[in-house]
Amino acid sequence: MEAHQKKKVVPNRLPREVFQALIDVVGAAWVSEDRAIIETYSRFSVDAAQTLRQHQKDPTMLPACVVLPGSTEEVQAIMRIANRYRVPVVPFTNGQIGFCGPTNDQPTMTVHLSRMNRVLEIDEKSMVARLEPFADYAQLQAEAMKRGLWNGGSPLATTLCKPASQTAFAGIWQTDLKYGTLSRNIVSTTVVLPTGEVLQTGSDAVAGVRPFWEYGPGPDLLSMIRGSAGSSGIITEITVKLHPWPGGIQLPEPPAGRPCIHNYHEPRFDTASPPANVKLLWVEFPDYDTQIKALQKIAQSGIGMGLNATGVYNAYYCSQTQEMTLDRVKNRFFPPYNCYIILCGFTSPKQIAYEEKVFRKIIDEVGGTFLSPSYKEEVLEALQPWNLDCIRHVTGFRMNRHFYGSSIVPGGPLKDTAYKTKEIWTRTIETYGETYITDRGGVEDTPFLYAINRGGRFWLSEADTYPDATDPEKLQKAQVMAISAVADFVSQKFVPIGMGVLVEPLTSAFPETGPNANRLMRKFRTVLDPNNIFAPGRQVYTKEEFNNLPEETFQFINFLRTKYGLHSLSREK
Amino acid sequence: METIKRQLENIVGFENVMDDRASLMAYAQDQSFVPRCMPDAVVFVQTVEQIRKIVRWAHENRMPLIPYSSGKNLHGAAVPTEGGVVINMTRMNTILCIDDENWFAVIEPGVTYQQLQAELEPRGFRIMVPFGVPPDRSVLTSYLERDVAMAAPSFESGNALVLDMEIVLPDGEIFRTGNWACGGNPGSPYGPVRMMAYRLWTAAQGTLGIVTKMAVAIDRLPPQRKVFFLPFQELATAVHAIARIQRREIGTECFLLNRFNLAALFCEGWQVPRQYPTSKVSAETFDFLRQALPPWVATICVNGLPYYPEEKIAYESEALYEVCAFLSVPVLEELPGVCSAAEIMLQEMLRPWGILKKFNYRGAVHDVTFKAPLDSVPDLIDMAYNIAQDHDYPGADIGVYMLPLERGRAVHCEIDFHSQPDNENIRERIKALWFKTSQELIKRGAYFDRPYGAWANMVYNRAATYTLKLREIKQKLDPNGIFNPGKLCF
Ligand SMILES: Cc1cc2nc3c(=O)[nH]c(=O)nc-3n(C[C@H](O)[C@H](O)[C@H](O)COP(=O)(O)OP(=O)(O)OC[C@H]3O[C@@H](n4cnc5c(N)ncnc54)[C@H](O)[C@@H]3O)c2cc1C
Repeated sequence: MEAHQKKKVVPNRLPREVFQALIDVVGAAWVSEDRAIIETYSRFSVDAAQTLRQHQKDPTMLPACVVLPGSTEEVQAIMRIANRYRVPVVPFTNGQIGFCGPTNDQPTMTVHLSRMNRVLEIDEKSMVARLEPFADYAQLQAEAMKRGLWNGGSPLATTLCKPASQTAFAGIWQTDLKYGTLSRNIVSTTVVLPTGEVLQTGSDAVAGVRPFWEYGPGPDLLSMIRGSAGSSGIITEITVKLHPWPGGIQLPEPPAGRPCIHNYHEPRFDTASPPANVKLLWVEFPDYDTQIKALQKIAQSGIGMGLNATGVYNAYYCSQTQEMTLDRVKNRFFPPYNCYIILCGFTSPKQIAYEEKVFRKIIDEVGGTFLSPSYKEEVLEALQPWNLDCIRHVTGFRMNRHFYGSSIVPGGPLKDTAYKTKEIWTRTIETYGETYITDRGGVEDTPFLYAINRGGRFWLSEADTYPDATDPEKLQKAQVMAISAVADFVSQKFVPIGMGVLVEPLTSAFPETGPNANRLMRKFRTVLDPNNIFAPGRQVYTKEEFNNLPEETFQFINFLRTKYGLHSLSREK
Repeated sequence: METIKRQLENIVGFENVMDDRASLMAYAQDQSFVPRCMPDAVVFVQTVEQIRKIVRWAHENRMPLIPYSSGKNLHGAAVPTEGGVVINMTRMNTILCIDDENWFAVIEPGVTYQQLQAELEPRGFRIMVPFGVPPDRSVLTSYLERDVAMAAPSFESGNALVLDMEIVLPDGEIFRTGNWACGGNPGSPYGPVRMMAYRLWTAAQGTLGIVTKMAVAIDRLPPQRKVFFLPFQELATAVHAIARIQRREIGTECFLLNRFNLAALFCEGWQVPRQYPTSKVSAETFDFLRQALPPWVATICVNGLPYYPEEKIAYESEALYEVCAFLSVPVLEELPGVCSAAEIMLQEMLRPWGILKKFNYRGAVHDVTFKAPLDSVPDLIDMAYNIAQDHDYPGADIGVYMLPLERGRAVHCEIDFHSQPDNENIRERIKALWFKTSQELIKRGAYFDRPYGAWANMVYNRAATYTLKLREIKQKLDPNGIFNPGKLCF
């Protein structure tokens, strides 16, 4: 009975001396306890963990305040305050991921980095760019391209993403075949640790050395930061690699010009050509096996800047309205088995001609059909948003139109990844049913497949759910589907989340990983965050946090574990 | 000592433990300036289980453990600075798997470059090899210590070659990084835990764990290759040209040698030594070549791809000629005065140990190895030559090797000073020169990312928080400090 009684809804507040101390650091204008402001600054675009609902139901779960620092020194001062008073902290940039949210029943402080938004320096000679944490991919690319350089890609999360927060989380691009993910493109980071100390990684960890090389002296401590989901410290500056860019200073405009608010849904505004010296080719395959065979051959041929197979994402990114998306999914407008390659003439325009010749030869050998003016012209036409999206992504949030509820991103060698994802996602959908029709992406068509490495040894795939964001049952089901798929993968010794980010409860729920990666990560956590001030449960639970998990969570984890033949977990002694 | 020996024998067997002085001497020193130190025992292991048992035993007994794979680091990394037990893994030399579908190989610590390349080549593959590694060097420790492969100018195929690792942690537990973390196939350095978590264990000189298996990327052997030589009178001109060529992404391998090193590489009278230091051998061809060759020569290798290799080579070569014409740099297909220079260099691309002939000059080579932004290199090298002059060391006896990294973002440099191991006086003089050069280079922004021996203090004194956090992590992982104590900042 008690559980159903209404709680008195009073948002948490920080002790007055803490609040005053924060004002002393950043000035009254940059710290707020106003609920409307807090909600604005701690809002997810993808609220997978249903944080907003929790906040609405129980405002004590809202952050107690939001602070906007303007410099590394201010972040340091804030962290010292948080440490002294043991106030949990959550770093926040765009809020495009829904894990590790600013939800906590203790008075918590959100550190929002939006004031630190400059591209600080482009070093043309060493081909690196130094950025503040709120400088985004679009800013970076615009600055770098003026100098014949670029950063190597952008995520589907769009160019609003920031390399700094992506370092903490993921960083998969369409051009990973050549450049690897963002994680291979970080030269150095300046990180304010939970203790308030400033850790510098990369070559500039050593005083007097320029940021030009990614490894710190001896054992590399960037390994503590990358993929840590903000649980190791706050990145206040990042230096990223730049690469030669033959594509010109400005990206092409669509022939129709720029839309206005009334007509931006019209497809003609999505039809820009690729940048200079860049070419995309689209191929359809008769079936999954042929697609996989082709992808393997292409990745091992040494050509291309990017190579991906796009399933249901085409129906999202290339459809200007949700109606179009649904229509195209139902009518199988886009080829269910396909791939596109991005060619670029770095050495000379002849490179494109050579690589196209190789690509055509492979497709001919394997048995695929090029989309062309004489074959499915309307489909090729509809795919045009990718011309720029593969370089500077802008349409990603179309997959949020309904709701992007949960996902699995398995990784490994192509065949392992591709076939396991299809097998397990199909089983998941068969077991639970979909929350929305587009959840079926990867069942009757290809899951998204990204080549991460030349040679084809390393791929990532992706399958997602798209529940109705206003339907709590569907939202919950989306979570259950993802975790259940994870258990299925782990039980078969395959990698369910291959992008190097371990988040709770998965870290503790599947100690097979590593094995016992959770225990190792705990050790690192105590080094970096000795007072445990990064909002609890971020990447790895402490023993206490694990033991305090609600019984229903525990039972659910064990239910899944048993279902997939893994032994039950007990609370730790 | 007797009990130690007996306890170790219980784990690995009587015949696999050595503690006689003669045997131990071989582990007490390498050719570097790292001071000699005797281990207490050497054990030969053959299985991961044995390693785990020894690690647990050492942990309990607070006994230093020095992981040893091939002993060819040559920078003192395996010298037992605080005594203890050397874990010799040379017999763990199985190539556990060559996956020609997914292009990786899984190796044990004792697998050498020579061995792996010999296995791969007939299957149409190659391992990317760093220039100037001994052929019997462990691939695993070389990759672990971040030796840079000759293909490192290419972002895609010459870097990030470590995929997954199996590590025995200082408490004896096993941890697998990358894709391996779920227990299935290897193949990716990301996996489910943390992106490239393995990098914590790199350049660690065995202080944070013992890597018992590694999955490394392998690449298809190029069906055709073509080598070009670009001669330069001035280093600054060479660096400028290399920067332009790299921006156009021309060639896979590209490196610069000064005439000393080039002459050593092509010297027919010299052999690649088996041991370091070695004995001095005089050779007339060396003296002749050193006179005849240009002061600096950049070697560029253009690789064909599996499909239409000649067309790939054609457009890259054309671009090379175009850039060089613009810069008025001659492009040579052979080197005047050297017989079959191109042929020799092509062999070097797979087995780049010819340069080790340089040890014949005096017997020992002391390199100052660092990374720097490409544009800063002419000044740094100039400074090194000046310091040598101040120390009465002839400029003509300095060897220089430079490898542009990732299309010219950075450069890996090795400056060699030659010394006579049997002449204490000369050795001391070279040591002073080596030390001073390292110190001055560090002051001028040269980056020693693998701080061996005396470099450790110079580097860590300039990296306060980094050092502090490394120590705290070491303390958490290895509270009894058993793994290779006295190295780095530990
Ligand atoms: C539609 C869509 C498509 C996506 N596609 C891709 C894709 O193609 N590739 C890809 O890699 N990802 C993709 N993502 C996920 C993507 O990684 C995240 O959206 C993005 O990295 C989050 O950045 P953010 O600025 O919104 O970070 P936030 O959500 O604000 O933060 C992400 C995490 O990092 C922490 N953090 C934030 N700032 C810092 C900082 N300065 N220092 C330390 N920690 C910090 C946060 O606490 C949080 O744990 C996609 C997401 C969406 C919604």
